[in-house]
Amino acid sequence: MRRAFLAITGLAASTTALVVLKGSPGATPVAQNVPTAQPVNPTPLGVDPSADPAAGPPTPSVAPTAPTSPKPGKTTTRPSGTKTTTKAPSAPRTTTKAPQSTNRRVTGNGFENEYGYVQVQIVVSGNRIVEAVALSLPSGGESDIHSGDVRNRYDGSGGEVVQKQNANLNTVSGATETSNSYKQSLRSAIEQAF
Amino acid sequence: MTHPHTHAAGRRTGTSSRHGGRSAAPVPPQIPARRGPGGRRLLGVLLLVGLLASVLPWWLGTPAGSLRSTAATVTAAGRITGLIAGYLLLVQVLMMSRLAVLERWIGGEHLGRWHRDIGATLLVTVLAHMSLILIGYADLRNQSILAEVGTLLGDYEDMVSAFVATGIMVLVGFSSVRAIRRALPYELWHLLHLSSYLILLLGFGHQFTHGAQLYKAGPVRTGWIALYLLVVAALLWGRVIAPLAFNLRYRLRVADVVAESPDTISIYLTGERLGRLAMLGGQHFRWRFLTRGCWWQSHPFSVSAAANGRWLRITVKVVGTHTADLRDLEPGTRVWAEGPSGTFTAAHRLRERALLIAGGSGITPIRAMLEELPPGAALIYRARTPADVLLNRELDWLAQERDTSVWYVIGSRDDPGPRQLMSPDGLRQLVPDVARRDVYLCGPPGLVEQSVRALRRAGVPRRQIHLATFEL
Repeated sequence: MRRAFLAITGLAASTTALVVLKGSPGATPVAQNVPTAQPVNPTPLGVDPSADPAAGPPTPSVAPTAPTSPKPGKTTTRPSGTKTTTKAPSAPRTTTKAPQSTNRRVTGNGFENEYGYVQVQIVVSGNRIVEAVALSLPSGGESDIHSGDVRNRYDGSGGEVVQKQNANLNTVSGATETSNSYKQSLRSAIEQAF
Repeated sequence: MTHPHTHAAGRRTGTSSRHGGRSAAPVPPQIPARRGPGGRRLLGVLLLVGLLASVLPWWLGTPAGSLRSTAATVTAAGRITGLIAGYLLLVQVLMMSRLAVLERWIGGEHLGRWHRDIGATLLVTVLAHMSLILIGYADLRNQSILAEVGTLLGDYEDMVSAFVATGIMVLVGFSSVRAIRRALPYELWHLLHLSSYLILLLGFGHQFTHGAQLYKAGPVRTGWIALYLLVVAALLWGRVIAPLAFNLRYRLRVADVVAESPDTISIYLTGERLGRLAMLGGQHFRWRFLTRGCWWQSHPFSVSAAANGRWLRITVKVVGTHTADLRDLEPGTRVWAEGPSGTFTAAHRLRERALLIAGGSGITPIRAMLEELPPGAALIYRARTPADVLLNRELDWLAQERDTSVWYVIGSRDDPGPRQLMSPDGLRQLVPDVARRDVYLCGPPGLVEQSVRALRRAGVPRRQIHLATFEL
């Protein structure tokens, strides 16, 4: 029993330590605007999109629908959910529109709802949103399905965000909370960007 | 606890077994080679690595800095404890799978102790998991904990069964608290404990429908399911296939039942190919006697004689309904045995010489081990009355044969004689080199506790003290 007591104490202590370690680095939601013309740090403000479980499923966030020409960066999302490489081209290959402007990435504030944590990043070129990426969406259980719906509808360079150019998005049915958090985070990103 | 004592366990006459009965003069047994604690340590390290690996998906899957609100932090702690609990549950079941490898590397006694400690840890972890998730979710939804319980039970798939699993676990946990357990009949406790398998089954679903780390298809989910399959396979192998093979091979039957004292009997068993049965003195089997009243119960008893290639013997004190029924076993009754298991053997010695301390019917494994220990052992046999001394003729004979000193210490624990002897000084006087010996202890809990205290004070290192505990 003495060993059981030790084990319980040890587990409690290490659980606390884990939570504290994960919680500490970005204690305040700071939005960081990074021009993509520079070599981009794939992990803005310590929020590692790679480690985001919601980024895991191979959602067609960027790859299939990318008609707009100034490609801001390529986001390869691997289904393993452990590693994501965000590669930015050293110079934007702008061919048609807005040749003078550089792309900027703006990360909105994170919002916590009852299902999880939502944070949105947009890529802005001039005064246009050219892409939206959810860095974090609720995951686990049915949340994965809803998060997938939200991502399919809003994200990418052809999603609703890019079409509407504002945060008045249609709510995804079955994912009201997450839609709202998405909109909130998007709104804060837009506020910072313009 | 009441002990339905027998007035006379009638001595049966004649050895009517066609397998040849029990003639004495066994083959001179060999001293078994030592088995070190290396395997146990290796497994311990492996299990710890597994524990770390089970939390790793959470660590990798949680963005740093995403735990900003209290609710998120509490929920995260809930997820970690959930992963740990899931892992510990698997380890816990694996410990009880009776795989021969585990029995050999860890040993029944250690397995039992690990099982108890992991069990207590598991129960606390599961309760922590449940409370943390409830608090976290309730906080997010801005509702009371009770309302949250309602939401979880109503809206979440597989949650009802998860709650039931927790309920069973609490029940099993409490029934295993020593004081409560002693008040329960063994059979009831055992039945309750068997329901633990339901926990494995009922707790399975919610991990995959709601576990943030396990919901998605991917290596984590696949690995977790593979772990489950592995444990189930181990269970099947250790509990079904291996015993089946063992019993088909050795085909044990009761040869004779003999009274050793008014309330103790010896059961002799014969079978086929017993010469190839690898068994050490001091080990035990779980025995299931296939008669109308007994077949559904299986109880651990140590063999009371070393392997001799012709017969096995167990010596049993009549203390409950089951053991009382054993007196009436007919020769020829089929016996289902699972084992052998236990590290209370000469093979697990650390020193050349040993001191054996037996109390009452605790002599049985020690009697068997005595045949395999290197010469020069010493035996202290505690018994309340001269009538409680069992197998004394064999002991005297073995003492001569194997150069062993035997002291019979008769009397109540509070009598001056036994009290003086079972003190550090008394032990040192009797066995001057006690600190350099392995000490094997088997007897009632009171005697064992008292002896361990005295031995520790007499300078015997803890790892040299071997206890025969087969509660499970």
